[in-house]
Amino acid sequence: MSLAAGPGRGHVAEGQLPEELKLVVDKHVAYIQSLDTRRDELEYHLTEHLRIGGIYWGLTALHLLGQPDALPRDGLLEYVLSCLHDDGGFGAAPGHDAHILYTGYSVQILTMIDGFKALEEKTPGGKQKVATFIANLQQYDGRFAGDQWGETDTRFLFSAFYTLSLLGYMPHQRPSEPPIIDVPAATAYIKACHNFDGGFGVAPGAESHSGQVFTCVGALSVAGELDSYLGEEGKDRLGAWLSERQLGSGGLNGRPEKLVDVCYSWWVGSSLAMIDRLHWLDKAKLTAFILQCQDPEQGGIADRPEDMVDVFHTVFGIAGLSLVGYPGIGEVDPAYCMPKHITARIQRP
Amino acid sequence: MGSHGIPRVGATFDKSEQARDKEWKQIAQYQALEKDVVGRVNAKDYSDATFQLTSQLLTQNPEYYTIWNYRRLILQDVFARELAAADHPSEQGAAAADKAGLPPAQHEILLLIKEDLQFLIPLLKQYPKCYWIWNHRSWLLGAATKHLLARGAVELWQGELGLVSKMLGLDSRNFHGWGYRREVVQAIERLSGGGDEGKGSGGLVEPEFAYTTKMIQSNLSNFSAWHYRSQLMPALLSSRNADTAARQAFLDAEFELITKALYTDPYDQSLWFYHQYLMATLNPSNAQAPPILDPCGAAEHLQYLDQEIESVREMLDGAEDCKYIYQALLEYSGRYLELAPEGEGKVTVTELKEWLRELRKIDPLRDGRWRDLEGKMKL
Repeated sequence: MSLAAGPGRGHVAEGQLPEELKLVVDKHVAYIQSLDTRRDELEYHLTEHLRIGGIYWGLTALHLLGQPDALPRDGLLEYVLSCLHDDGGFGAAPGHDAHILYTGYSVQILTMIDGFKALEEKTPGGKQKVATFIANLQQYDGRFAGDQWGETDTRFLFSAFYTLSLLGYMPHQRPSEPPIIDVPAATAYIKACHNFDGGFGVAPGAESHSGQVFTCVGALSVAGELDSYLGEEGKDRLGAWLSERQLGSGGLNGRPEKLVDVCYSWWVGSSLAMIDRLHWLDKAKLTAFILQCQDPEQGGIADRPEDMVDVFHTVFGIAGLSLVGYPGIGEVDPAYCMPKHITARIQRP
Repeated sequence: MGSHGIPRVGATFDKSEQARDKEWKQIAQYQALEKDVVGRVNAKDYSDATFQLTSQLLTQNPEYYTIWNYRRLILQDVFARELAAADHPSEQGAAAADKAGLPPAQHEILLLIKEDLQFLIPLLKQYPKCYWIWNHRSWLLGAATKHLLARGAVELWQGELGLVSKMLGLDSRNFHGWGYRREVVQAIERLSGGGDEGKGSGGLVEPEFAYTTKMIQSNLSNFSAWHYRSQLMPALLSSRNADTAARQAFLDAEFELITKALYTDPYDQSLWFYHQYLMATLNPSNAQAPPILDPCGAAEHLQYLDQEIESVREMLDGAEDCKYIYQALLEYSGRYLELAPEGEGKVTVTELKEWLRELRKIDPLRDGRWRDLEGKMKL
């Protein structure tokens, strides 16, 4: 899977009116299928550290587009398992060090391709090992480090929560066993990142940022504390901040006075969906903006019209369209960014 | 992600044969370098030569996080060897170290850390949004704090304040930069034996507050600076031992500052969020905005609501198409009426309805939100 940008750019085909725009499903499927054939580009090699993320993004997009088998399952399974380290963590590619983010993506892929049996066959007790790797990254104050080097970030905490829940190792999923992580300490840390404007930052004291809002709201949602913590007033305040991300073009930005970007269709849209305020955005205008960022000839979606497409913006554009109910796209789970029919099996608190 | 904001330049198809050949050569060189580095680290070759090769590879690809990890493995190994050899210092090393006022091993470690901090500067400037570079910098400073005497470590951290100001000068909204700034300030205060936040000898709360003023003056629209300003307030007021009158004077000065800014550009949402913040400090139901006033009860809340509704209402003159004014009026009036239901003389339901009607006209994007507000306020 290549994370290289291009080859195409987002644009509107000549002579087409914005209201006539349609998602070019087959082109996007073909685009994702072609990504791993670009080994003659330097950027393919320079982006190896994003390979497992690329597979997760591409596969999720294919699922939502109704073509879950468009990438060969055996190849994906073999690749993901080749990223597994002895300590239970996954690296971004074979030979790359283990990290919580890539462990999360790997577990999402394994969930979507039904690969846990194969994991257990390759490494007996594999699921538990992965869960232990994650649990060991929790710090005394509830935060999670990304790896043994200790960088902490609310992204890692969210990653820990959703990954453990996919594995069935969140404490609420195993009420008869001692908890392997301290959920109250972790959610207390999230709450310390909450700001007066309703949003959340990357650390206590940091400015609200849509990406961090998604991870914090997602973590509270997976832990089952979202409604009780925010309440209607908290949801109104956060929803107001999030809804102000939509600009006249229909696209969304990540913070006040910043540029719009397709990926915020997901970070902002999913957060609004989780707090039941998605109708605070103009869905038709957001849809038109995302469609103007696709390359109607070669497939793929870019951050903004005229920029080069890539698989990251492709999945978040498609997932954004799923949130607003674009016809023909599968329903996405706003916390997990995976098909809803798959996450429906997760035991929630 | 590497591809944010990449316009279509040098599209990857339609390449000449020559360009293809060149790219294949680059790929082969890159892969050979990668193989060399990985091979050496796997064989535990933590030599200076390996270290230099990681520099080469990271200069080409700073997103390759595993190589940053390798770099730290090598540095840790060198630090450990220096510390182990500390009992037998060379004469030369001892002399240099003595001059620097540090034991020889610490002196060597300091030099290595300084050199690596220097290596990162051009990378940070070229890739200011790369998590791994900021992360490595923070690790280096952490290692300095662990291995050096507090005085030496503080000097390094103080140098970081200059660097981060430079980085924020290049991009005043870079959230890595602002996050690193908070980390640097906390470290300096902690290492200077600060005790109470902002009060110690290394107390930076006053200069940091002045820094936000400077940043705001150069660009009003910098919400990152406004946000940081809001975060500094509790420590600032406590370091000033501000009494009731001083706190009120402080809040009034902040309202004056933001009101002036709003008159300059009422269409800038950064400014409205700061106004909202000041109002939130008066609202006990917003736990994320600690009170500035002391005491801060319903009377004070009502007084400022009254004052600011008047002030914002005046902003409408000449800016009747500014949605943020109507939003502020509706929000503050809603709160006002909750606290003083009999105060309808000041804000009438007719007025509220009128503001909402204007808002829906100007801001159809968020019509769902305004419909909900209509229901919530029973308009």
